[in-house]
Order: sequence, then C-alpha cells, then structure tokens
Amino acid sequence: MAIPRTAAGSLLPLLQEGMPDARGWLPRRIAMGVIVLFLLLLPLPLDSARASWIWIGTTYVMVGISVNILMGYLGQISLGHQAFVGVGAFTSAYAVAKMDMPFLLGITLAAVTGALAAAALGFIALRLTGLYLALVTLAYGEVAEKVIFNLKAISGGGGGARAPRPQGFTCVSEGGVFNPELFTCEKSYVYLCYAFLALLLFIDWKFVRSKAGRAVLAIRENEIAAASFGINVVGYKLLAFVLSGAFAGVAGALFAHGKNTLTASVFDFRLALTFVLMTAVGGLGSRAGIFLISMFFAIFPLAFNQYAIEVLIVGPLLLLLTLALAPGGMGQQIKPIVDWLNGKPFTFKHDSGGVATGGGGVRP
Amino acid sequence: MLTFIVIGIIQGAIIGLLALGIVLVYKGSRVFNFAQAEFGTVAAFLLLYFTTGRLKMPYLAALVVALALTGGVGFLFERLVVRPLFNAPRVTLLVATAGAALLAIALELKIGGFEVKQVAPIKAGKAIGIFGATVTWQQVILLAVLGGLAAGLAYFFNRTDLGLAVLATSQEPVATELVGIGTKRMSSFIWTFAAVLGGVAGALAAPDTTFTAGFMTTNFLLFAFTAAVIGGVTSLAGAFIGGQLIGISTALAQYVDITYLKKWEIDIPAFHELVIFILLLSVLYARPQGLLGKAA
Repeated sequence: MAIPRTAAGSLLPLLQEGMPDARGWLPRRIAMGVIVLFLLLLPLPLDSARASWIWIGTTYVMVGISVNILMGYLGQISLGHQAFVGVGAFTSAYAVAKMDMPFLLGITLAAVTGALAAAALGFIALRLTGLYLALVTLAYGEVAEKVIFNLKAISGGGGGARAPRPQGFTCVSEGGVFNPELFTCEKSYVYLCYAFLALLLFIDWKFVRSKAGRAVLAIRENEIAAASFGINVVGYKLLAFVLSGAFAGVAGALFAHGKNTLTASVFDFRLALTFVLMTAVGGLGSRAGIFLISMFFAIFPLAFNQYAIEVLIVGPLLLLLTLALAPGGMGQQIKPIVDWLNGKPFTFKHDSGGVATGGGGVRP
Repeated sequence: MLTFIVIGIIQGAIIGLLALGIVLVYKGSRVFNFAQAEFGTVAAFLLLYFTTGRLKMPYLAALVVALALTGGVGFLFERLVVRPLFNAPRVTLLVATAGAALLAIALELKIGGFEVKQVAPIKAGKAIGIFGATVTWQQVILLAVLGGLAAGLAYFFNRTDLGLAVLATSQEPVATELVGIGTKRMSSFIWTFAAVLGGVAGALAAPDTTFTAGFMTTNFLLFAFTAAVIGGVTSLAGAFIGGQLIGISTALAQYVDITYLKKWEIDIPAFHELVIFILLLSVLYARPQGLLGKAA
C-alpha cells in the first residue's frame, strides 16, 4: 500500500458507504448556503471603519491558510512568515505605484516573489529540521524586516511605500464598479478580498486532495518512509514552501493595497508570532477553525483598541489554554459541525485521529 | 575600533548569559525556550519594584528576592505549561514558550505601563576606561558573574550527581526513571534554575540603559539563540564563546557600517543583523552541531 494511512484518510469521505441520500444532503446544503450568505451580507450594514475590519480579517485568514500549509500539512514551523507577507506587500506596492502596472499583475508578482522568498527558506529547510530551522526562520524574518524592507529603493525612505487601491475600489473617487451608495470603497474592497480568499481556499482544498498534497502529508508523518515509497521528498517539501509563500504574498499585497501605505515596522517578529498563534489556536489542518480564529485575531484588537493592553493578553492566553486543554484548537471544537456539513452524522464522539499531538495535526 | 570591541565584549556577556540559560533548558528538556529573555525582564521589573516606591529594600536584598521570585516564575511555568506538554512534539512546546513570552510582555505592559524605566546599578560609576570606551562597575560585575557562572555550571554538569542526573534526564528519560531519578523533579529544577539565570542576565543588564516591557526579548533573544546554536546547543562553554562571537561581530559590523559603508554611500539598514544572519548560516552549513557541540 503506497499511500500512508493518514493520506488515504482524506480520501475516505469520497468512497465511504452510508453517505446521506438527497434528503440527507438538503439540510446540509441549506446550512452551508446560510453560512456563505451570512459572510457575503456581513459587510453591508457596517460603517466604513467596521467594514475595513472584515477585509483585514480576510487577509489574516489567507495568512493562516498559508502558515497551515507549512505547519499543518508539512509539519514544519515557520517563525518568519511575516517575511513572505511583507515581500508580497512591497512587491505589489512597487509594481503598481512605481511602475504603473495593473493591480492584477501586481498581485501576481506578489505571489511569485512571495513564493521565491519561501523557496529560499525552503532550501535551508532541506538541511535543517526542528528547532534549528525554527531559529533560522526567525532570523530570516528579522533580516527581512530590519534590512530588506528598510532599503530606500523598496520602502521609499521613512515615509513608507505607497500602495494605491485598484480602479473601482479607491476611496478617492467614490463610485466605481458597484453602487457607491450601498458599496462604499471599504465594502467593495471586502468583496475583492473575499474573491481572492475563495480562490486560495479552493486551491488549498484541491491541493490536499491531490497527489502532491498526499505526498506532503506523508512526508510530515515520516520522511524516510515516504522517501522509501518513491516520494520525491526534496521536490514536495519545496512545493509546500512555494505554495505557502505564494499565498502569503497574495495576502500581503491585498493588505498593502487596502492600507494605501506600507512601512517595514509592521512586519516585525511579533506579527510572525501572531500568525503562528492564530494558526495553532485555530487548529492545524482545519480550514474552518483557522478561518474563525484568524478573523478573531485580526478583528479583536481593532474592535477593542481602547483596551490595547488587555487585548495583548488574550492571544497568548488562548494559545496556552489551547495547547494545554485542546491541542486540536478551534478545529477540534467545531469538528462535529464541520463533519456534519461534509455528510457525516452529527456526533460528539471523540475521534482523536492525529489530533492529540498538536504538532502532527488534525486531518484536513 | 578597539572601542567597539570593548562594547562588543560587554554586549556579548549579556548574550552569553542568556545563551547559558537556553543551553541549560535545551540540555534538560530538548526545547528552545523563547521565554528565556523574558525571565530577565521580569527580574528587572521586580528589582525596580523592590528598590523603589513603598518597599525601598536594600539593594542586594532586593536583588536576591527578585531573583528568587523569578525562579518561582520559572517553576510555575514548568508546572503549568511544560509538564502538561511533556510528551508533545518539541515544536509545540516551543510555540508554548513563545506564547508565554508574549503573555509576560503583555502583563508587564499592563502592570508597568508604557513609560521608560530605569533601575539603579549595584555599584554606580565608571570603573576603568580602556581604548576610549567607558566600562562601568556594573559591567565589570556582569563580566565577572558570567565567568563565574560558566565555570560553576561546567563543574556542576561534569562533577556533581545532580548535574549528571539532569543530563541523564535529557538523554534517556525512561532509563533515568528506572534507576530511581525523578525526571519530573529534574524538569522543575532545570526550569527554576534557568529562570534564575535569565533573571541574573536581566537584573545585571537593565541598569546599563533605560528599559521597557519586553526589552530583553526585543534586544537580546534572537542573538542569544544564535549564540547558543553557533556555540553548539549542548555546550556551556560554547554558549559563552558564542555570546562573545556575536557581541564582537555585531560591534565590528557597526564599526564597518559607520566608518566604511557610510563613506562609500552604501546604505544597508541594520547591517549588523545581516552579518549575524550570514554568520549563523555559515556555521550551520559548515558545522551543524555548532563550534563546540558534539555531532548528534
């Protein structure tokens, strides 16, 4: 059997006997529709400031999905993820503001450079593992923030780089592609970010079910065993890094253009820790959990900014509680609901397949 | 240039002291402790609290109490976070220590506020001036303490039963348990001890400058890890040498930056960080086990 157990596990729902019939699917489809509809309608009643929380949260979710590829699927810690996000952000800002490229090209370039930045780290990761790699990723992020993002050519000196929003989403000339009464610039930008998030989630979903995804999961479980089954360990490891970097680059570009200006100090070490925290609390391998918790980590400090310090306490506290009490994170808590939506019966029965270790990860 | 080297040696001493604590925890628990530098900040805050305000304790008494309480923080941390994750993957534990560091910084901000703090040194004033650099008494004490601790720890791990028990725990916990050594007690001991070491670094480094919440982590943590890895994560002497190497390299990089790069109009922000990163990668490439480490 060439496919290790966990990798095959993700295929099981497709083959399983006893899936619900059409009548069983109906309530599940309706519930899913309601969730999607809720997210789509969510920005409409909000004012501009609150609508901007939603798109910031959406970019955080993209980063969470990106971190999850490395930490959840490949089982590799990344403490320098802000570097990939930042590379994407500055690339897109430079391409659009300085070279007059169209927005979509800027975001594509951001994905490419983010992927390259991650691939560079991936090459180091081929030689190092575990804690040593953690240290190198940490130092890599530091160097990116302090050295590269501060180069005058990139950051435009102390004032920060300019990153204009694309046509139709700008706040200067209201009235772009949508009805300006109903869709202010912040709201229309939310839908732009939603669209990209949907794209990334789709790629991620396809990736885990592909041959490459199964190979990456197999490498996480046991590198040597995977290699002995003929899996190209070097290639698939790098692929995971490239994919993760590309996702982070897209997230960075959307964040940059949403903010309009960009400074290096945003991408500091604590941001990297926040990314790791939210992914771990969200639950490695669980897209739904990461979605909820990343949104929470992005929006919570913005919503309670008058309690700036107390907000700082909540994140790490949640992490420590998660690690100690529920290593599967939010993904573990909402598993019954997600399972039900996927066609399984609703049950609280404890299924600890791969969950208990935290580092290994919940099955996607 | 010699001025820079003197400054580098002093910075290297603080880095080396933190690296010692990191190595100790790594020897005992096989984990990189991201909270190591924060133990230092906690000690500095406690020292400030006990020497000023309502309490106004004598300085040395305040220092001892501050270090003891910092040790207590380490003990609690081991009980509440490390022990439940005893069998978890090491990376999970690493994330937990990072979370604890962030939590500590947030609590320091909550209690201490955002304003810049200053604590008095053990002995004020300038001790000697060499090569144009002023060396304060505090810095002399720092260097002496580092030397003494490095020698003492080397003796402890090679010659005493307790030290050997700690090493045994890290290498083969099950077998160690079988010969009647309580591995859990060892773990408590290691973390308490490491917290005190971190506290010593913080309490000695803080009077040199003004400080704010999390200053040890932002200023020294990355360098201390790099020092520990360059020296070989399991070698106490390596941590000491790694600290000096990082301190002096940083100072030299700053010297090159100021005297040459500026003249040639090459503007590389935070040039010394780049130098240290390249140093780290080169050492890991050529000798993955570190300068004084044994190959795994």
